[in-house]
Amino acid sequence: MTALSLTLVNDLAEVGRLAEAVEAFCEANELPMGAAHALALSLDELLTNTISYGYEDGATGRIEVSITLAGGAATAVVRDDARPFDPTGAAAPDLDAALDDRAVGGLGIHLVQSMMDEVGYVRRDGVNEVTLVKRLDG
Amino acid sequence: MEIETETQAGVVVLRPKGRVDSNSARELEEALLPRFDAPAPVLVDFSALSYISSAGLRVLLLAARRSKATGTALGLSGMSEPVAEVFAISGFAKLFRIWPDAEAALAELAAG
Repeated sequence: MTALSLTLVNDLAEVGRLAEAVEAFCEANELPMGAAHALALSLDELLTNTISYGYEDGATGRIEVSITLAGGAATAVVRDDARPFDPTGAAAPDLDAALDDRAVGGLGIHLVQSMMDEVGYVRRDGVNEVTLVKRLDG
Repeated sequence: MEIETETQAGVVVLRPKGRVDSNSARELEEALLPRFDAPAPVLVDFSALSYISSAGLRVLLLAARRSKATGTALGLSGMSEPVAEVFAISGFAKLFRIWPDAEAALAELAAG
């Protein structure tokens, strides 16, 4: 199995289900540990953001996640019908701020940007589409 | 996630097991933050933790602020490679006192 495809709803409990599926997929395909962790964490952060902030209270959301392996890289695509959010445009948090000034907002997206080789975003037909690429050559 | 708690050499040791993510961060928050109302130093030992996301970092940031406010010492130990990487990338490594293992942390935290 060189592709994984999952459909999730906007409930934080889904983050655990996603993590298990990603972990099993990475293990079955013998991905390097570092790459597997980077993928699992990045998808967790994106999903947590979308589920926590992307929908009106009580609205039902649909989030599709896929991972494919090709050309020496893992490519993950997340499609959701939440309000528009471009993770590539998010400002980096101030990583040198003192304890009292440290903001937690934006930290998750910063982790994604740091751990992935590429992060792409397009909004089309009312759907956010985020593409993550992690090279597997070490 | 499960959290094992014990007192060693007068230090309260919290040992979360498994994953701290947006699902389980609240459990860690509820177990950890009230500890800073007492004077005993607090060690969060990550030796049984395989994973932490920014939701877990948020809880540790709150703990560090509580520690600073009340004067109850806080230390971290036993980070696996993925957990240490998250601390490094987020710039959190420099906000905490971090030891390679619980033994080393306990020796210093117990001494005050």
